[in-house]
Amino acid sequence: MSEPTSPDDSAVGPPEHLHPFFLLTGLGGSLRGMAGLYAAIGYLAVSGKLGSALISVLLLLAVMAAGIFLYWRRFEYRVGASEIRIDSGILNRTHRSIPFDRIQDVDIVQGPIARALGLARVQFETGASGGKEEGALPAIRLERAEELRTLIRSRRIGTAPAAVESDEAALPAIYQMDLKRLALAGTFNFSLAVFAGLFGLTQTLGDFVGFDPFEPNFWTGLLSAGDPVRELILAHRVASALAGAVVLVLVGILTGIVRTMLTDFGFRLDKTGVGLRRRRGLLTRTDVTLPVSRAQAAVVATGPLKDWLRWRELRVQSLAKDENTRGSHVLAPLARDEEVDRILDEMDWKPLPGCPNWTRVSPEFVIAFAVALSPIFLIAIGNLVFEPIVGIVLLVVLIGALGMRWLAWRRTGYVVEGDRILVRTGWWRRRTTVLPARKIQSVDLRENFITRAFGVSWLQFGVAGGGMTGHSIPAIPRGEARKLRDLLLDLGA
Amino acid sequence: MASQLEPADEIALEPVEPGYKSVLRVRLVMFWSVLWAIGAVADQAFLKLTPIAGLPTFGVPIIGMAAVVVAPQRVYRRLHFRLTERMLQVVRGWLFHVDTVVPLVRVQHIDVTRGPLEKIFGVATLVVHTAGTHNSVVTLPGLAPERAAQIRDIIREHVRTDFA
Repeated sequence: MSEPTSPDDSAVGPPEHLHPFFLLTGLGGSLRGMAGLYAAIGYLAVSGKLGSALISVLLLLAVMAAGIFLYWRRFEYRVGASEIRIDSGILNRTHRSIPFDRIQDVDIVQGPIARALGLARVQFETGASGGKEEGALPAIRLERAEELRTLIRSRRIGTAPAAVESDEAALPAIYQMDLKRLALAGTFNFSLAVFAGLFGLTQTLGDFVGFDPFEPNFWTGLLSAGDPVRELILAHRVASALAGAVVLVLVGILTGIVRTMLTDFGFRLDKTGVGLRRRRGLLTRTDVTLPVSRAQAAVVATGPLKDWLRWRELRVQSLAKDENTRGSHVLAPLARDEEVDRILDEMDWKPLPGCPNWTRVSPEFVIAFAVALSPIFLIAIGNLVFEPIVGIVLLVVLIGALGMRWLAWRRTGYVVEGDRILVRTGWWRRRTTVLPARKIQSVDLRENFITRAFGVSWLQFGVAGGGMTGHSIPAIPRGEARKLRDLLLDLGA
Repeated sequence: MASQLEPADEIALEPVEPGYKSVLRVRLVMFWSVLWAIGAVADQAFLKLTPIAGLPTFGVPIIGMAAVVVAPQRVYRRLHFRLTERMLQVVRGWLFHVDTVVPLVRVQHIDVTRGPLEKIFGVATLVVHTAGTHNSVVTLPGLAPERAAQIRDIIREHVRTDFA
C-alpha cells in the first residue's frame, strides 16, 4: 500500500482505521444504490432464466463485498494537533485535511446495532451550509468519537480537554422529555399512516395471502358465516360504527406514540461551551450540537388543539445540518411557553413577548384566494344542476378552503420588536417566526397584477439555511411594505 | 416611474444599457425558432388529420413575432437598479413585479459574467451571491462592462460577514 507523502507527518497522530462493522453497513448502503441492476436481475428471473439471475445476484454480492472490503482496508484517518486527515478511496484516493478551527462541531449518530456494539458514526459540521458532507467517519468506537469531540471542542473554546468534559457533566439539562411528555407528544402526532401502509400491503399481497379487508366480499362473507354475530352487528349498527371509529382512533394514537418514541426517546437539551447539545432517539441515537451563533431564525409551531392546551414546538433554522429536516433543528418537540423562553434565553435571544401588538394584513389575502377559486366555484354550481352529489361535495370543499383561509387571515400578522421581527401565520398550522434583523440576507418586495388592484404587495425574506420557500409576509399595503423593509434594513446594518 | 420613488431618495433608479434589448431579442428569436421547428415537425407527424392541423406551423410564428417585437422593450423599460452606500436594489417586471434589496454587508461574493451574446452587444451581467436560500443569487443583466466592474469593486469594499 503506497502511503501519501506529506511534509508534516509528525504533526498528526498514527493512522487509525474504521471498525469492521463498517463492512456490514457499507454493504447495505451500496446495495441500495444498485436499482438498475436489480431491474435487470428481476427481468432475468421473470423471463425464466433463473440460472443467470442467480449467478448475477451472486456476482453482484461478490463484487460489492470485495469493493467494501477494499474501501475499508484503505480507509485511514489521523488526528493531529490542529487538524484531522482522512484518506479514503480505492482507485481514486482522496486525502482530505480538515483543520479543527473549520469544524463547528462533531455529530455522533448511533444506529441500533451500532449502539449494541458500542460504535458510532461521526460527522464533522463545517461552515458549509447544509448539504455537502465535509467529513465523516462511518464506524468508530464510541469512546474514540467522544474523545475526538472533546478534543475539537477544547480547541475551539481554548481550554484543556479535561475542563470541557467536567463542564458538560455538571450542568442539568435545559429541556428534557420524560415518558409522560413523550406519550402526549405521540398522541398529538395522531397518524393514520398505518392504514395507508396496510392498504398497500393488502393490495400487493392480498391475492397471495387470500384475503383483503378492503374488498366488500370479505366482510359480507365473514358476516354471513356466523349468523348470530351478524344479527348482533346489524342490530347495533350505530354501536358497531362507533366501535370501528374508536378502534381507528386508538390505532392512530398508538402509531403516533410509537413513531414519537422512536425519534424522540430520551430527548435532552444541554448547554455546552459551543452551543446547544441535543440527544434523542430510541433505536438510532443522535447527538448533535447547534452552535448558537449559527441560528438564523426560530419558529414556534403549534396547532389549534395544542394551542388551546398551551403546548408549543420550538424549531431553529440554522446553517448546521439536521439529519431529517433540512436546516431546521427541532429543539423542543412539545414544550410550555416558559420552557421555550428558557431555551431562547440560553441562546442569548430575548424571550417571546406575552401579548404582542400584531399588525394585521390586508383582506386581500382572502379575496385574492376567493378570486383564484372562482372558476372551480362555477364548475361546482354547474355540477349542482346535473350531478348534485359532486356539486355539493365540491362546494363543501371550496367553502372549507375559503373558511380556513379566512381563519388564517385573522391570525396573520407581524410586529417589529426591538431588533427583530415576529411573523405569525396560519390557523391549522400555526407558526410564529422570530427573525433577528441582522440575519436577513435580502428582502424582496413583490407585487403582481392582482395585488396591485388592491394596493398591496408582499415581502419575502432571504434567510440562510432552511427551506426554499423562505419567510414571507403576505398582503401588506404598499407604502407600509416599503417602510417596513427600510426599517428592517436599518436595524440589520 | 417617478411616482414610485420615495421622496427621500437622492440616488435615482438607473436603467440598464439599451444593448440589453438586443440581447433579449436575439434570445427570443432563437427560442421561438426552435419552438416553431418542433411545432412544425409535430404538426406534420401527428396533427395532419385533426381539426387543429396547421395551428402550430402558423400560430407559433405569429405569437413569436409579437413576442420578439414587443417583449424586449417592455422588459428593458421595467428593469432598474440603484446602488447606494448601504445596499443594492434591483427592480424588474410589471405584471409580476419584484423589487430586491441586498444590503452590501450581506453579500457573499460577486461575479461579472459575459456570455457570447452579451459580448457582441457590449453588456455584462452582475451576479451577486447571498447566504440566503431564497435569493441565493441576484442577477443584474444588461450593465455596461465598466459600470459592472465599478459596482463590483464598490460592493467588495463593503462586504463583511458575521458567521462564526
